[in-house]
Amino acid sequence: MKANPNDFRVDAVGKLRAETRYIRDEKIPGLWFGAAIRSPLPRARIKSITFDKNFDWNRVTVVTAKEIANNYVAMLENDMPFLAEEIVNYAGEPVVLIAAADKETLREAGEHVKVNYEPLPYVLDMLQSENSDVKIFGERNIFKEIRIEKGNIEQARQNAFAIVELESETGFQEHLYLEPQGVVAIPEEDRVIIKGSMQCPYYIKAALDEMFGGKKHVTVIQAATGGAFGGKEDFPSLLAGHAALLAVKSGHPVAMFFDREEDVRVTTKRHPSYHKDIAYVDKNGRILGLDLTIYLDGGAYCTLSQVVLARSALTATGCYHVPHVRILAKAVATNTVPSGAFRGFGGPQAVFAIEMLIEEIAHRLNLRPDQVRRLNLIKEGQSTATGQILRYSVSAEETFTDVLERSDYVRKYNTYKKGNAPILERLLKGVYPKKNADDMLKGIGLSVSLHGAGFTGTGENRIKGKIRVEINKEGMPVIFSSQTEMGQGEETALKNILAKTLSIDRELILLTEVNTDLVPNSGPTVASRTTMVVGSLLVEAGKEIISRLTKKLNSETGKSFEYRLGYFYDGEQIISFREVAQKYAGLFVEKQYSHPPVIKFDDIRWKGDAYPVFSWAAAVAEVEVDPVTFEISVARYFTTHEIGKAINYDQAIAQIQGGSLQGIGYAIYEKVGLKNGYFDITGFTDYIIPSSADMPEMDVKILENPYPFGPFGAKGLGELPFVGAAPAVISALWMIFNYPFTRLPVMPEDLFSVVRTLKEKGA
Amino acid sequence: MRISFIVNGKSVELDVSPKKRLLDILHDDLDLISVKEGCGKGECGACAVIFNGERVNSCLIPAFQTDGSEVITLEGLKELPGYAAIERAYVEHGAVQCGFCLSGFVVSTVAFLKEKKSPADEEEIKEKLAGNLCRCTGYTKIIEAVKDLSLQEDLRRQPEAEVSHYVKK
Repeated sequence: MKANPNDFRVDAVGKLRAETRYIRDEKIPGLWFGAAIRSPLPRARIKSITFDKNFDWNRVTVVTAKEIANNYVAMLENDMPFLAEEIVNYAGEPVVLIAAADKETLREAGEHVKVNYEPLPYVLDMLQSENSDVKIFGERNIFKEIRIEKGNIEQARQNAFAIVELESETGFQEHLYLEPQGVVAIPEEDRVIIKGSMQCPYYIKAALDEMFGGKKHVTVIQAATGGAFGGKEDFPSLLAGHAALLAVKSGHPVAMFFDREEDVRVTTKRHPSYHKDIAYVDKNGRILGLDLTIYLDGGAYCTLSQVVLARSALTATGCYHVPHVRILAKAVATNTVPSGAFRGFGGPQAVFAIEMLIEEIAHRLNLRPDQVRRLNLIKEGQSTATGQILRYSVSAEETFTDVLERSDYVRKYNTYKKGNAPILERLLKGVYPKKNADDMLKGIGLSVSLHGAGFTGTGENRIKGKIRVEINKEGMPVIFSSQTEMGQGEETALKNILAKTLSIDRELILLTEVNTDLVPNSGPTVASRTTMVVGSLLVEAGKEIISRLTKKLNSETGKSFEYRLGYFYDGEQIISFREVAQKYAGLFVEKQYSHPPVIKFDDIRWKGDAYPVFSWAAAVAEVEVDPVTFEISVARYFTTHEIGKAINYDQAIAQIQGGSLQGIGYAIYEKVGLKNGYFDITGFTDYIIPSSADMPEMDVKILENPYPFGPFGAKGLGELPFVGAAPAVISALWMIFNYPFTRLPVMPEDLFSVVRTLKEKGA
Repeated sequence: MRISFIVNGKSVELDVSPKKRLLDILHDDLDLISVKEGCGKGECGACAVIFNGERVNSCLIPAFQTDGSEVITLEGLKELPGYAAIERAYVEHGAVQCGFCLSGFVVSTVAFLKEKKSPADEEEIKEKLAGNLCRCTGYTKIIEAVKDLSLQEDLRRQPEAEVSHYVKK
């Protein structure tokens, strides 16, 4: 199906003609190049830093920690320094900054800096961190601890027919946006301009305002950004700080451009997780209570771990209604690269754990996995773990039913089981498993997932995102917001929303460059909030523009014009929006967000409306495993999403396709290990993301169930498609092998060892 | 060393280090910004160009190999009459997101189409484009766009004629 021309992206043609400039495409006169000298050890004391006297340091600018007055990146806890001063806390931590006019001199200079370290004991295992003698953060290495209770878990235990326990784990994941991190700092007398690849210009501005102690005016400008997925949410504040320090000291514009290897080795990753979960169930598989223990590995510094943990804890009961809940969640510190934001933001880990727990319940009670899910799905009027009553826009059942029917799940479940039996039998007997060359083990798995749209808890009310819409001389409305385009379609969505509100052509709407000197802080481009939160401000602004233009027109003419789909009409005359708007050029409207008062959350007791609304999805994955090589592939992937209202239907489908494939990568392709505390990946060669050859046949459907406070009913979308993909794929592996897969990712070698275990058991 | 080669139909002479990558020559020295560095190791395809008639990753070609060669980047391809159809297919199928991998995909699309005598099936396209990585789209819409293009008889093979015509002039 071809898209509606109104769905065509406003940024597509510029990108297809290579007219769009990313930061490395900018021509900046006199640009120097900067780099960081990094710790090779996961924890050490810096004994000395020496600069080789035989090297000509006049050609190079050097910055060390001592020169930085406010040496911390302002974020949630100001614990991360721009440069380590005494102790390094992870392998890859920056210690010295250097810059030079060309890359060759920069490389040579780097070789002439010697940092002497005294190695110190370190902790890499998140489960040992709390009781470790190694102190990274406070006395217990805990960035945040959250307890959520609902009902009485003891009562659930007493009434339980079965007690089902499961431990599960998820690993690091690298964002692998195609454009590596890159920021340039341009020094002026009283000002520093930061330009680069980023999600959150005002995060960077806040961090640099603090670093300079208000002594420099900091202007942050977003360049075209080649993918982010959360990877350019918190990390660029550190990188921009480095560029700014070097630029101010050298007096030259300085670029911090990562190559792929540096990017994958020192930038944030998705938080690894460990879950120890207990479900109390009745004999039909109905969940009476959940007792969940969650650990997230935050790495060496806090970054955003506290809020990632909150989302994890608040998502931990999945799409299910559970009367009795106890959740204990901890984000702990280890001597690894700080973990950071990544699409889903704690949700994918939580949903993986709960969905695998459901698989285990089905396994124990000898039920089909869809039966246990269906029995427990949450409905309108029921409440979540925080006691949030879901009053509107609830579609767990609708998405689930739709995807099961479309994928023909039940029939395939039975057919594939039958087809697998002889192959499995041969495999477990140690006989060559294939009778026909194309004999494959076929699995079908499913998941249900949700994503709370917008910031967690009271976040939106604290940020108070603000936008402005101004009429320019040509009578065109200009949007001023700090939302960034990083590939997700923000520019198209915002223009579409305002155009629809005003009933005018999208081409008449302009968007101002994202520059902190020009745009108000409408909040960061994160948390699937742009369309829903900022979009709702645009609708309000659009309505106010219409009413103010109508009033002005009427008081000037003494007539009574009313607004009809793009025109002012008074019974005799009909005048276009633009004609009227041009008369009142300069008129502007500002709107600031706060939640509708009906949405209330207590973030001390963790009670109430954790999110204004949730988006819902269900997925079915058909997986094939080669019984000889154990290669895993996803042949077909069905998903049904309910996102309130698709503002841009075609691009909503695109988000779902892309997010799903990224989630499939998380399940079976993307693995990051640690070697001496360092990530063991260097780029695309040893960190495999899905290519077009790995993509399944995708079957996506969108349901609408409006959110009363969203623009035209829209809720958040960007992160949700990722969340349910991995559990659906792994559910299919449970079905094939009748074995509990509890660790992400699952690689062919893991299947090999599972089969070995099953063989031994059989023998 | 001194190299002379043809870039998008124009003769270019440059003094460069023999080890300098074609990617850097195109992007930094000639301001052909469609040529992106995603990995520098020939894995991601963001720097793909047509080099002596074949699609290659320009990060793997050292300067000394470029002397006397013919190179076409997206900036050259977009001047071809057939390019409007390619652009339209990518736009209409919604195949564009962050755009960083995009010129590599378009170069691969042209290289693929010019070899095709008949419309392509999905499996073939998936395999032929597997040297270009994208992290945003999940590929579905890109594959749809290319499939649509391969149905247009005037586009298949024609780009080759166009490309060589362009190079010769």
